[in-house]
Amino acid sequence: MIPESHFLILGAALFSIGVFGVFTRRNAIGILMSIELILNAANINLITFSKFSASPDGLGQIFALFVIAIAAASAVVGLCLVISIYRNSKTILVNKINLMKW
Amino acid sequence: MVIQDYGIVGLFLVLGIAFAAAAFIVSWLLRPRDPNPVKNSTYECGEIVKGDSRVQFNVGYYLVALMFVIFDIEVLFLVPWIVIFRELGVVSYIEMMIFVAILVVGLIYAWKKGVFEWQ
Amino acid sequence: MSLIESIRFITPEIILLAGAIIILMFSLFVSNKNVLGVFALSAIVAASLYLPQSQKVEPVLFFNMLTNDSFSLFFKEIILFITGIIILISIGYEELKEKYIGEFFFLLLNGAIAMLLAVSSNNLLMIYLSIEMLSLISYILVAFLKNNTLSSEAALKYFLFGALSTGIMLYGISLVYGLFGTTDLAMISKAVSAGQINNLVSLILLVLILAGLCFKCSLVPFHMWAPDVYQGAPTAVTAFLSVGPKAVGFAVLLRIFSNNFFHLYINWVTLVMLISIFTMTIGNVIAISQTNIKRMLAYSSIAQAGYMLIGFVVGTAGGIEGVLYYIFAYTLMNLGAFGCVILVSNYLKSDAIEDYAGLYKKDPVTSFMLSIFLLSLTGVPPLAGFWGKFLVFNAAIQSKFILLAVVGVINSIVAAYYYMRIIKFMYLEEPKAKEIGPKSVPLQIALAIVTAGVLIAGLYVTPFLNWVKYSQSFF
Repeated sequence: MIPESHFLILGAALFSIGVFGVFTRRNAIGILMSIELILNAANINLITFSKFSASPDGLGQIFALFVIAIAAASAVVGLCLVISIYRNSKTILVNKINLMKW
Repeated sequence: MVIQDYGIVGLFLVLGIAFAAAAFIVSWLLRPRDPNPVKNSTYECGEIVKGDSRVQFNVGYYLVALMFVIFDIEVLFLVPWIVIFRELGVVSYIEMMIFVAILVVGLIYAWKKGVFEWQ
Repeated sequence: MSLIESIRFITPEIILLAGAIIILMFSLFVSNKNVLGVFALSAIVAASLYLPQSQKVEPVLFFNMLTNDSFSLFFKEIILFITGIIILISIGYEELKEKYIGEFFFLLLNGAIAMLLAVSSNNLLMIYLSIEMLSLISYILVAFLKNNTLSSEAALKYFLFGALSTGIMLYGISLVYGLFGTTDLAMISKAVSAGQINNLVSLILLVLILAGLCFKCSLVPFHMWAPDVYQGAPTAVTAFLSVGPKAVGFAVLLRIFSNNFFHLYINWVTLVMLISIFTMTIGNVIAISQTNIKRMLAYSSIAQAGYMLIGFVVGTAGGIEGVLYYIFAYTLMNLGAFGCVILVSNYLKSDAIEDYAGLYKKDPVTSFMLSIFLLSLTGVPPLAGFWGKFLVFNAAIQSKFILLAVVGVINSIVAAYYYMRIIKFMYLEEPKAKEIGPKSVPLQIALAIVTAGVLIAGLYVTPFLNWVKYSQSFF
């Protein structure tokens, strides 16, 4: 058996990469992908805990299914917003999208 | 023990790569080399290629893709339900039909808004 | 309680869902859209008539996913009120295009469903799902003016912030699940009070969950989206966002932290106190220099969330009552203020504070109402906002959070400056030459209701205090 902690480290690494990506990416699509990484990190955690728990009840797996659905929905909404901003201001670089400040 | 488990994962990875590589290498070794312009084209017996593959796609594809994603995800909930359907009984059937009905409302909306029509 | 019996308790949600779907279908097949607003309003009224009564024994609904206590009922009443007022406001809002008004009401009713579920969830899975549903709907609502650059920019910023913070919250929830083996709040609460948890671990978990809720309530450091979104969104949506998700955020915050994680109070109190102080101060200081009234109200609403947080930090019964009353008062006055902004922008076509100069001479009724709301936001007695501030500051002093109370009072004085500035512009400056167009009747009805609410809740405070006292069922 690969120990539980290895999966959790993988999850934590994915989470960190995701957060790092959100703060460093300029491209809105890139940020969207980083956010998906965060959600998948949570999924890995949930499934790991569900698998290794003392009394497996599958709750973590169900939760992960819901998270996948939510991730798809938010990707759809996010991409639509990106299209909408591209139509209006012809860019998806978030550092160029700065009509409003302070 | 841990090493052994990772070994299985590693073996799987190596075999996967080796299989794909072997297919290419073997066909490269066996095939006759007789190039001509027709044989070198992308689709030997198909369309003649026009321009680069990196072009802007019509946004219509995108809308259809979005619809696909939604109904793709629907299956995510349908499959676990089907697996234990017999144990759950009638109530779960009604619940799932309500779920599907709400999605159908979305489909009707998209249909009426012309997502599936090409201008 | 079995599944079938539980359904009785979600009748309002079912009514709203049916109403929303009928509106969507109606807007597809019928070209006359004037009746849609009335229909949406009647769905809200029907839903509020079917609100379940609170019971002596709290029922276990849907495998303890939902609950039905007096605390959730308090928020359900507020949420239905908010949605009703927003529908009235948006009927009279000219920027919302007639063509898409059906979709607007559809989304709004679904938002109401998400909020109703969020305040009554008793399980982290349900809390996450309903909050995420509310977020997705708010992103779309903010982007509703699809040819407006500000609107789509605001929506993108809101989306990126929101997705990040709910992602962080989800990660926290996954760790909570790992630690306790369940996402049921009641069971987690039992495990916490048994006291087998490492303090550092629990603090990290709480911080991660706090991140997502801070975003919903626009608390520092997750407040940066608020000004841009409030400015860019259609004003009716801004009014909705400034009260709806905030009330929900506080409801969930109170339910998770003050109810279930209260045994870890000592771990999170300092952190939340710092958040409260920074939220008040940053919101107020930046609000002073704003020239756009929507943006100014955004910073003011950040600051108001800071005041509410004081009661939450105090954590006693008095503190929680203060938060609940404050949320109620804040709902009334912020809805009113944004309603007035819409009414004025309908004929001024501008949200700049300078353009409010001399409004009193042209439109005395609206300027009077706007002044009432601004005075109430300042906390001038005897309006509703005063009692909210009074309750939370009083609770803070009684529990020896002197620093917090002092910072709160200083901030209220600073805030008086920028609220009064608008009143000064309206009453003392010379008017600019702009004509006043016809005023929408539904919007005026909404404003009349809200004004009456602010005055009554300020002058006859006792029944409202009893209501709030009854609603905080935790202690």
